[in-house]
Order: sequence, then C-alpha cells, then structure tokens
Amino acid sequence: MSTAFRSVALLAAAVSLWILFPAAAPAARDVAGELRKERGRLLEMKEREEKTVLELTEALRKEKRSKGRVGELQDRLKRQRNLLLRIDRKVSALNERLEGAENAVRELEAAHGQARTDLQRAEVVAFAGQRAGAGDPRYPPAGERERHFMRLYLAADAEGVVRITRARERKEEELSGLERQVAVTERKRTQEKKVGDTLLSRQEEERRRLADIEREKKRKEKELKSLRAKIARMESVVSRVERQVKERERRARKGAGGGSAAREPAEAPRRFASLSGGLSAPLAGKIVTPFGRQHDTTFDVTIENRGVEIEAPSGSSVKSVGQGEVAFAGAVSGFGNVLIVQHGGGLFSVYGRLETFLVKQGEAIKKGTVVGRLPGSPSGKSVLYLELRTGGTAIDPTSAIPLDR
Amino acid sequence: MSERPSLWWIDWRLSRGPLLRETIGRLLFFCLLGFALLSLLLSGGVGRFLADRYAITAVLRAEVPSAEAEGLARKVAALPPVRSAAYRDPEAAWKEFLRAYPGLDPLRGAGGNPLPGYIEIRIRPDRLTGADVGLVTSALRSVSLVEQVLAGEEWLPRLLRTGRLASWVCRGIFAAFLAGFFLVSRLQERARAIALAGDFAFLAERGVPGGRLAFFRAAGAAVSGFLLAAAGTAAGGGALFLSLRAFPFLESVIGPTSDLVLPRTVAAAVLFSLGAALLSGAASLLGWRAARSGRK
Repeated sequence: MSTAFRSVALLAAAVSLWILFPAAAPAARDVAGELRKERGRLLEMKEREEKTVLELTEALRKEKRSKGRVGELQDRLKRQRNLLLRIDRKVSALNERLEGAENAVRELEAAHGQARTDLQRAEVVAFAGQRAGAGDPRYPPAGERERHFMRLYLAADAEGVVRITRARERKEEELSGLERQVAVTERKRTQEKKVGDTLLSRQEEERRRLADIEREKKRKEKELKSLRAKIARMESVVSRVERQVKERERRARKGAGGGSAAREPAEAPRRFASLSGGLSAPLAGKIVTPFGRQHDTTFDVTIENRGVEIEAPSGSSVKSVGQGEVAFAGAVSGFGNVLIVQHGGGLFSVYGRLETFLVKQGEAIKKGTVVGRLPGSPSGKSVLYLELRTGGTAIDPTSAIPLDR
Repeated sequence: MSERPSLWWIDWRLSRGPLLRETIGRLLFFCLLGFALLSLLLSGGVGRFLADRYAITAVLRAEVPSAEAEGLARKVAALPPVRSAAYRDPEAAWKEFLRAYPGLDPLRGAGGNPLPGYIEIRIRPDRLTGADVGLVTSALRSVSLVEQVLAGEEWLPRLLRTGRLASWVCRGIFAAFLAGFFLVSRLQERARAIALAGDFAFLAERGVPGGRLAFFRAAGAAVSGFLLAAAGTAAGGGALFLSLRAFPFLESVIGPTSDLVLPRTVAAAVLFSLGAALLSGAASLLGWRAARSGRK
C-alpha cells in the first residue's frame, strides 16, 4: 500500500519541481495557481492518509499483539485446565486412599477393642482358673504347665493388642498425612482455580479489546479506502494539470523552434541512455520492490509502483545516476528526504528515503556524485527509493540502469 | 526203757485247741502283713505314687518340627532316670489347655494357637530324687530345641521330703505291726506255758530238761511261724494280685502285678518269712522264760 502512496508523493514531488522551476510560468499563471492549490490539497490528503496508514498499522500491530495475547492466554488456560484436571484426579485418588485408611483405622479400632476385651476376659479366666486350681489338682506338673501356657497365652494376647495398637497408630499417622496432603492439594486446587478464573477473565478482557481493535481496524480501513479514492481523484486532477503543463512546454519549444517533442514512452530508456556519460546504479544493492503493478498482501490490494526500492547496507552512499542539476532536496511525506535531479530534456531521477543530503538544491552534479546517504537501521539494511521520469511518465529504472534483481 | 519221747510239736499234742486258734489267728495276721509287705515292696512306700504325680515338662520352641521333637523324646526316654517321655504337639497342648481353661475357647477367635509343643518326661519311682531330676533337667536345658524346662523346682523338694516321710511312716507302721505280732505271740506263748506248766513239770520229773523243752517249743514255733508267714505272704500276694486286677488305678499307687513275681519280691517274701520264724521262736522262748519266772 505504501508504494501507492509513494507514487502519489512522487507525483507531488514532480509537481513541486515544476513549481520550483517555472520555465513557462508567465504564460500559465492560472494553471500554476490551480496546480499549487491542488498540490496543497493533495499534500493535506496525503498527510491524512499517512496518518491513517500509521493508525491502521498501529491497529494491526495491536491486533497482532492482542491475538498473540489471546492465543497465549488460551494456551495458559488450557494448561491451567489440564493442571486442574490433574489436581482433581489427585484429589480423587487421595480421597479414595483417605477413605481406605479411615476404614482400616475403624477396623483396627474395632479389632483393638475386641483384643483388649479378649485379653481382659482371658486374664479373668486365668485368675479364676488359678484360684480354682486349673488342671488336675492331683497332678501338679499339669498345673505348672498350664500356668506356663497361660502366661504364653496372655503374652500372645498382649502382643496381639500391642501389634494392633501399633498398626492403628501407623494407620492413624498415614491418615493424618493423607489429610494433610488432601488439604494441601485442595488449597493448591483453589489457588489454581483462582488463577484459571483470572486467566479466563483476562482472556475475555483481551477478546473484548481485540473486538475493539477489529472495529477500529475496519473503521480505519474504510477511512483509508475513502482516502484512496480521494487521492485517485486528486491524481487525475494533477495528471490533467501535468498534461496542460506538458502541452504548454511543447508549445513553448515549438515557438522557440528548437528541441524535439516529447518522445514516446517506449523511447524513454534510450533517452536516459543518451545522457552524457550514460547512467550508472546509485548504489550496490538488490531490488526488493519492483516497478509496475504489485499485489499488496497486507491490505489485499493491487498497487502501481512508479519506481523501485533497492535494499542496501545502512548508511550506504547514494550516487547520482547521471549528470544534471539538483532540482529539489527536501522532505516529502511518505518518502522521507527526497532528492530530485533534473537531467534535462524532461528527464528526472528521484531518490527517496535518504537520511542526509550531500548536495544542495540548484547544484550541478556529475554522474556518480554522492548526493546523500541511507539511514541506519537495527537490521543493518536500508532501502533507497529510485524513480526515473521522462515526459511526466515514470519508467522502469531497470530498463535504463543495470540493477540487481 | 530208755526211749525218750519226741518233744517236737509238744504244745500241739498237749493243747491242740488253743494252739489251733492261735495258728489261725497268726495265719490271718500274716496274710495282712504279707499284703502290706508286698504293697510296700512294689510301691516303694509312696515313691510310686509320687512318681506318678510328678513329671518334667520340656516346652519346645514354636518352630520345632514334629519329627525332631519326637526324636528328642526318644533320646530323653533313653536316659537312665527316665521312665517315659511323650511328645505332645501344639494342637494337643492347645486342647489340654482349653480343657483346663474352658472359658478361653471363644476368646481366642481367629488368633490361632499360641502354644508350642512339649515333651512330658516321667521319672522312674526308684530314681525320683533331686539329683536325678537335676540330671534330666540339665540335660534338657542344654538342648537348643527346648525353650523352657518346667520341673517344679518350687515344690519338688517339699514333695520329695513329704514322700520320704510318708515312706518312713508306712515302714514304721509295718514295723509296729511286726512288733505287735511279736508281743502278742510272746503273751500267747507265756499263757500257754503257764497253762501247760503241770505237764511240763511232769516231764521234768521224768527227766526231760527244761531247756530242751524250751528249745523244741521254740523250734516248733519258728517252723510254724515260717510256714505261716510264707503262706500268709502268698495269700496276701494273691489278694494283692486280685485287687490290682480288680482295681487298675491301684497300679499307679502300688505297681504292676508283674512285679509280684520278680526275684527281689520273692526274696523279700522269703526273708520276711524267715524273720517271722525268728520272731516266733524268740516269742516262744521269751514266753517260756516269763512263765518260769512268774513275770508277765
């Protein structure tokens, strides 16, 4: 999209050039006035368009960021839900173990009570048996043996009670440990649920924000479309004025009896090649935006490029493609610092996106003269906009200058 | 005519009726004494009774297999003082225990049998002494299969002391009966000598010395005493035999019937008969002297 605006800006620059060098101005002051007026309006519209583009770009960036955040939140939410599911499963398993442990403790308590009761009853039986003289009283060894066995019996019973008591204590410890685990897990679950709720609310908020951005983007796109239409109309006006200027020049040249008429566009490259010393590349680089109709995937529109964009290392020196005179050096909206060199015979070369100018307006320059430098950038690469115009028409620079594609 | 009359059985010829009564009485008395003598001989006083009431219990460890326990019982039974050694497995021990404490059966529930097996060792009646019991218990305590030895150390000395005392009492009673027999016999002999004093004086006037008369009287009394004692002992033995057969529980107190025909028993009976003969002869002489001196 920006290429289309650059074309418009180039046109504006050309008009400005014509204004700066009014060779036949006395004959068409009304046209010049109209041209200035239209130029002013065009610049204003371009500024608005540039602003809208910036806003739209910002909206797109916001949309991208917001979508990223939504995606990230969705991922986090998914992870959070998985975590909650895992915690739920763990809580469920812990509850099952807890229930089992509680049952075991209850059973052990019952067994403990029964064992204690049995032991007490056995002690009573033993006492009563001893009092009554258990066994055959006429056979003392039997009594002695049975007393010994009674001691073994009571010891075994007491040991059983102790064993059950220890088992119950162990189970109770296990139970309390499980209860602590359940409590900790429940707390964790609550915390994670809170986190999940927070994420959900943030996601909702982000979705609302995204919807706002979408609405803003649509509004900006609509606005941009409207502006483009206006600019197109303005361009047609400027073209008409340009044609009038060219007609006036032709008539002026005819009246002067010298000079040849404007050549056909097909001859334009030959005209550039016929310049004294020929033409050379402004810098060593690679064309990243070719000339002509191109499809912009960002905004899904077809645009008309009036020049080419050459990618080169940041800070590279930009040289004049041919001999001529600096017709314009100044800032143009959408192109940054623009330098226009008039090569004579209606031939112009336009250099955009410069950082600095190394020549002044009106200064005569030769082919290869360093006219400016490209700006620096974090990526180490910068882009030079180069446009060649003849007879008010932009031609493909690669047809006149050997450039790397 | 120089023929001298025989003085053998002079009393029988001069006083047949009273002597017959005395003889019957003595025979009955010797029957009783013979019964008592054989009972004492077989029982060893109260030794057999006590031996039957005493046993050493060797409580085995819980994990001892039955085969090993039975092997140990056989080895213990081979010890000289031991009469028998019987192994009782844990199941039998548990049943005996529950018979002694019937209230425990439902209390144990699923707890199982906590008792180990044991070996019950009985001592021979004639070896029931502290030394022999100590010998057996020390031998048992050295066996690793044995958890504990229950030998009644608390009450065994008292039991043995009581047994010795009871045995002496039994022997004393027997001796008292013998002494009573001697005294009664002496009195009877004296009374008969007094009753036959006229006859003896007649014989003395006819040249029969008093000493010879006394000797033959005493010899007759000894022979009759021996025969009566032997017969009475035999009859007592028969009565004892019949009693033991009729009442088997007496075997645990007195002893088995087979012991009646042991040589030592027969020898003791012969000695008893000889003793009775001596006592009878002595009683006759003393009775003669008492009658002649006018003493009682």
